[in-house]
Amino acid sequence: MAIKTAAPDTAQFEFRGRTGEWFGIWITNLLLTIVTIGIYSAWAKVRAKKYFYQNTYVAGRNFDYHATGLQILIGRLIFVAGLVVFSLLSSIPVVGLVMIIGLLFLIPWLLVRSIRFNAIMSSWSNVRFGFDGQPGNAFMVFMLYPVLTAFTLYLAAPFADRAQRRFVINNHRLGKAPFAFDSGIGAFYKAFFAAIGWVILMTVIFLTLSGTTVFMLISDPEALERNPQAAFSIIAGFYLYAFVAFFPAATIYQAFIRNTIFNGSMLDGKHQFVSNVKPLQLVWIAISNVFVVIFTLGLMLPWAQIRIARYNAVHTQLKAGGSLDDFVGKIEAQGGALGDAYTDIEAVDIGLPI
Amino acid sequence: MGATYGQTSAIIQGRAFPPMQSRSITAQMRMDGITVNVIAEDGAIICTCPRQSVRFDDPIGSAPRRATLPDGTLFETTDHKTVESAFGDTPGSIIHKLERLHPRMVGFIAVAIAATWVIWRYGLDILAAGALAITPPQVVDAIDAGTLQTIDFVIAVPTQSTAEERAIAQGVFDTLLATLDDDIRAAHDFRLEFRAMPGLGPNALALPGGTVIMTDEFMRLFPSEDIQAGVLAHEIGHVVEQHGLRQLYRSVGIAVLVALIAGDTVPIVEEILLEGNVLLSLTFSRRSENEADEFGVDLAQQAGYDPAGLITFFDWLQDEMGDTSSWLSTHPSSAERVDRLRALTEAQ
Repeated sequence: MAIKTAAPDTAQFEFRGRTGEWFGIWITNLLLTIVTIGIYSAWAKVRAKKYFYQNTYVAGRNFDYHATGLQILIGRLIFVAGLVVFSLLSSIPVVGLVMIIGLLFLIPWLLVRSIRFNAIMSSWSNVRFGFDGQPGNAFMVFMLYPVLTAFTLYLAAPFADRAQRRFVINNHRLGKAPFAFDSGIGAFYKAFFAAIGWVILMTVIFLTLSGTTVFMLISDPEALERNPQAAFSIIAGFYLYAFVAFFPAATIYQAFIRNTIFNGSMLDGKHQFVSNVKPLQLVWIAISNVFVVIFTLGLMLPWAQIRIARYNAVHTQLKAGGSLDDFVGKIEAQGGALGDAYTDIEAVDIGLPI
Repeated sequence: MGATYGQTSAIIQGRAFPPMQSRSITAQMRMDGITVNVIAEDGAIICTCPRQSVRFDDPIGSAPRRATLPDGTLFETTDHKTVESAFGDTPGSIIHKLERLHPRMVGFIAVAIAATWVIWRYGLDILAAGALAITPPQVVDAIDAGTLQTIDFVIAVPTQSTAEERAIAQGVFDTLLATLDDDIRAAHDFRLEFRAMPGLGPNALALPGGTVIMTDEFMRLFPSEDIQAGVLAHEIGHVVEQHGLRQLYRSVGIAVLVALIAGDTVPIVEEILLEGNVLLSLTFSRRSENEADEFGVDLAQQAGYDPAGLITFFDWLQDEMGDTSSWLSTHPSSAERVDRLRALTEAQ
């Protein structure tokens, strides 16, 4: 076999999934999940993850996801039982308070378990990922820092975000090869202000278009009660404003951060990543996806998901600084899927932009 | 190739990865009788194993098929046909066939919609009833005790009612309880508490375990036993039908189901569904009020009180508060309730 170790080799990320195929899997997942009152969701998750992982290639080698439906189901059952007990006990006022304090410490532990579980259940080119983050550090970056940024009127939020990304990425491994991420704070502020800039722009546009109505409301709040028709259109207008202002802002932020993270990450000290997604293109994709999905009552969702996966893959490369044949796996201690159930059911975003 | 399952030999082109290594080796899997060999391009044998130890992963879409061999070697191929003919179906193959794009998927959509409706209409109630059945009574008592403490701390002050006023209300409460079936009475820890709650006005409220609180303002404004019986019987209805806990379990159930079913979809869908859930729980709340009204009218009448007592109360409430109820309210409008109650009492 030829030995290729010379100049950095650029390997393109590829997504080979197809809309029709994914639609069939998706609708079957949905149907079986509903008729089994949610139990099949564990297997549905595995099939969905496997489909997207196995169809994502770098340098001609794909990813894979190895958790079984039963593992996921057990994690979810334990989590739901805990959730029921928690909701019941928090109806007792004092106990509820104690439990909320307990949650502050439980959540970082669950988060770390979730990231670890997902890492060791994922592989690329036959080598499993790993994660070594500790709950103590997770408590700092996920619980403490966000609270502290509140005292800076969230102006320090980019610092907290960078700390979270560092924690997540720097504790990841591919087998024994560590990931390393660092970036100046400037890139995070750029993303932050771009998102805020969008919100301000949309607010100005909205006030200009509906200015008289809003000012009339402020000066004469009782006008609403006299005219319920107007009240309805104002509520609708407010939702529209929230949608065009905040949803794209979040997309813009994520796009900038994705580029920052990939471009600032290194694997095993020699392989680099490149991401060049365009924030406004992603805004267009995200907004048009939402409209298409809504107007087809959800049926085009698989199409929208494939579209995003393709876009992301096309805009991502690996600059290999050596042979990709040298990664070696590590025997990982197994862990249950309880943390994974937590991040799934509570829809927690860990912030890995893969 | 193209032979049926059970054939004795087959060659599958693909690639192999040594155990726990990323090294990719172009290779073929040769099946001869009961033996399987994975052979590299240069002819070197990577792995030899018995045929029955080779298990391919379940097929998903047209993604490559993979088999992890006993020594840990991973073999991967895109030759789906030969894998199927040589090694047959896996347990997941049924799902894979179901997933193939086909007109029957219109049926899938219809069944999914119908099943969603059935779950919403009956499934949640059954789940909530199951959870209620296994809820330890000690927890329910603790909820009552804790909530009462909070009420005392936040909005209530000790009662300033006279012993006489309290005796009337307690008498009505005891008469109503005596009318209940023995097993229902024994299942709850019924207790009447008196508090002054200037912020709440004339009102009564029930906690899940059976504690019913009546305000001084209520006793002062409505000394009539019939009216007190109507309102207290309504509150007892909430306790007996376990509306509080039932609603709690329902909302946990909906939140989990929405997360499981819509979790993988775009986040916005989950938000919309959860917002819808708030509206649905309001419907449930209004339904509960109507159920408690019916229960209350029944109980008051059986205990020998004028069932129109509750109507008088709602008439007063309507005059005092006006009618603002809609699909955004936790309670049906007073006018609506009066109409329903009139129909009910006249029917009896």
